[in-house]
Amino acid sequence: MAEPLAAGVWSHRALYVALAGALLFLRLLPLGSVAGTWPGPDLLLCLTLVWVLRRPDYVPALLIALVVLLEDLLLMRPPGLWAAMVLLAAEFLRTRSGLTRELGFLVEWLLVAAVILAAVLGYRLVLALVMLPQAGLGQTLVQALGTILCYPLVVAVSRAAFGVRKPATGETDAYGRRM
Amino acid sequence: MARDRSTPEDFSRPVRRILVGGLVVALLAIFLIWRIDSPRVERFRTALVDRVVPSFDWALLPITKAAAMLDDFQSYARIYEQNQQLRRELQQMKAWREAALQLEQKNARLLDLNQVRLDPRLTHVTGVVLADSGSPFRQSVLLNVGARDGIRDGWATMDGIGLAGRISGVGNTTARVILLTDSNSRIPVTVQPSGQRALLSGDNTAAPPLDFIEKPDLVRPGDRVVSSGDGGVFPAGLLVGQVAQGPDRRLRVRLAADYERLEFLRVLRSHESERIAEPGALIPPPPRAAPLPEAEALPATADAGGGDG
Repeated sequence: MAEPLAAGVWSHRALYVALAGALLFLRLLPLGSVAGTWPGPDLLLCLTLVWVLRRPDYVPALLIALVVLLEDLLLMRPPGLWAAMVLLAAEFLRTRSGLTRELGFLVEWLLVAAVILAAVLGYRLVLALVMLPQAGLGQTLVQALGTILCYPLVVAVSRAAFGVRKPATGETDAYGRRM
Repeated sequence: MARDRSTPEDFSRPVRRILVGGLVVALLAIFLIWRIDSPRVERFRTALVDRVVPSFDWALLPITKAAAMLDDFQSYARIYEQNQQLRRELQQMKAWREAALQLEQKNARLLDLNQVRLDPRLTHVTGVVLADSGSPFRQSVLLNVGARDGIRDGWATMDGIGLAGRISGVGNTTARVILLTDSNSRIPVTVQPSGQRALLSGDNTAAPPLDFIEKPDLVRPGDRVVSSGDGGVFPAGLLVGQVAQGPDRRLRVRLAADYERLEFLRVLRSHESERIAEPGALIPPPPRAAPLPEAEALPATADAGGGDG
């Protein structure tokens, strides 16, 4: 059991970057998104939070910051701010990954929903503070809701396709430390 | 689960917290720098997009084409029907084409009679749409032409029919077009039959509203909206769309450009028109020579008449 986990850390980090790149690529496709339609869920945020709660060692803070900063730059968002929000959300959940392991999935989902809403509202608050124009509140909330609804789906896909799951109680890593 | 309190990770936790805090502060600093000195960071962003997005080119175009084909696939089902319909339309088009040719000749003759001179420097560069803005809150596209092709900031872009947007951000091989529907877009326009000046300000909906109309009573739904050329950068007279009244009783513009299928965009090379800055001074009598003033006065009046249309 220990061997695939040890080899898996770096390959999963690479996988995270590749998935983020693929998501970014899909969003950049010029498929004629018409103004005023409802925004889809923010899958990168979802993926980050799922992985942070499952296997915190797969998504180190620096990696999250760099990936989201790149997304900020390519998607014409104010650079850095959303990256900081995602990083704060991820670190908040990282310190509570042990807690959610003991509680059920429903509690975890509620916690993640609260964190996503807090990140989105915090983002809007800072944008308002520095007097930047921002998208409508309705659209942002719809996007946050979509992200929250996608969370169980991303959990299932991460588990089935990429083998990202919570370590069982008493499982150890390659160095024999408890996870 | 009782945690073992002597693992090394318990000692590294405060250090880790400081490092993460530093990272957050660094990201916020990037944001603040962007807020304070936006042009420099935007230039960096343009350079980054210029490097990253064209390298996806090999994959972006085929996937886009495949999606478009999938979109059109249902039309294959009734291909015979469509063929017949196209033939009928082609017949009608031939008649129209004949009429258009006659009108064109007539128009050319009239223009010739009036000695109207169209701006001969109004040429265009056509670019392929490489990528979308990727965000539902931003309406912009990326073209595969850039500073290498002489594109400059502020130039107008059109699809085949109407105005689509304005160049904002030019990399070496790419240029970003802010579409008229983006919430940062403001274009001075004229509503055609009444000649009312207004500002078309995008608000992230499909039909942007008209602001600052002098007399809204004179503007009716169905009126043509064209660019007015007031800013000095855009050429005047480019078709923008038609006035329509939204459900909120605001006057909006239904855009002529087909935003669902932006594949190619024309970038109009606009050159700065000569400004008339002075109100006009008295022409003093020339010191001596008599034939000179006539020669100079002629081009000056021609400029004043044609420069500000």
